[in-house]
Amino acid sequence: MNAHALAAALAGHGVDARVEARDALAVITMSNGDAAERLRDAELRRVVLALAAQHGFKMVALELASATDDGAALSGH
Amino acid sequence: MEPVLTEAARADVATAASSSADTPRTNSTAREKEQRLVAWLAERRSVILGFSGGVDSAYLACVALEALGPARFLAVIGRSPSYPDAQWDAARTLAAQFAIPVLEVNTHEMLDPRYVANPSNRCYFCKTELWSVLRAVADERGFDTIVDGSNADDTHDWRPGRHAAREHAVESPLADLGFTKDEIRAMSRARGLPTWSTPSSPCLSSRLPYGSAVTLERLQQVERAETALRALGVEGDLRVRHHGDLARVELPADRLDTWLAAPNLRALVRAVRDAGFARVSVDLAGFRSGSLNVLGARGA
Repeated sequence: MNAHALAAALAGHGVDARVEARDALAVITMSNGDAAERLRDAELRRVVLALAAQHGFKMVALELASATDDGAALSGH
Repeated sequence: MEPVLTEAARADVATAASSSADTPRTNSTAREKEQRLVAWLAERRSVILGFSGGVDSAYLACVALEALGPARFLAVIGRSPSYPDAQWDAARTLAAQFAIPVLEVNTHEMLDPRYVANPSNRCYFCKTELWSVLRAVADERGFDTIVDGSNADDTHDWRPGRHAAREHAVESPLADLGFTKDEIRAMSRARGLPTWSTPSSPCLSSRLPYGSAVTLERLQQVERAETALRALGVEGDLRVRHHGDLARVELPADRLDTWLAAPNLRALVRAVRDAGFARVSVDLAGFRSGSLNVLGARGA
């Protein structure tokens, strides 16, 4: 599993998010609900899931940044 | 708490719920199986059922009551912290509605360190406790047969609890007679059982990755979160998976577009945080039965 590579791949599809690897679970964190709303698009979700699988993840969960993180700049790390 | 679904989303849900394509229908095969089930039950002197109030055991309870009468049949609810209060309420309500004779007993699997350690065969230790308690009830009250609500579909899954059932001579007539879940739903609907469309609801411990200790606090976090999400308007299959500080919410895949709308997502996150999780996430693939099996041990 490679969180950095997945974050870069997601950015390439316009999904700007942090990626945290928890074993085979990728947690992608977005800055707020408006950013996350892009993932209402089923086709984009399919792309995200496929990219995650390519990078060794079996599951992907979308997290909104916690209240203390709100407004923080997001990037792959 | 008022549901947050928009009017359009409510209309979608109503349409889906009334779709004839999703409505199970009885057929001659299912009706013949029910006749064989009645005959199977009638051959027993008396029967005790492990009763959760879910789809399978509710159906079996009603058929058994018809076949045996209230003097020869008893449905037993095993209560423990891993059994959600909402399901307990539903089981009691159903029993009252259909005049099912019910006994409630406490089970103590949380005192078994083998269960608390949450190995992949956790269900074996839980069911061992449940069937031990029911066996004692059966002996004390003179019942000769104990049954569960396992169905034929269950035999294809990883179900270590079935091993405990065999060890305690618990019989599974629905599984043995080949009843599928769809057939049980169809026959339940024909009988007017409200459970025909109830989502499957395994115990709360199933929300914890294997190897993550089963504690009262974690079970209560999950139960509070799922209760809050139901109050928000989540329908159908729902699981709040417990990954330590992180909750991973599994929603029906065909409802993700609704729940990922910004206002709904914020409300969802708030509800789950209030239940005691520091971080909240939504699974982008939606609900999958046994999804934690994919992650293996811990997965947190």
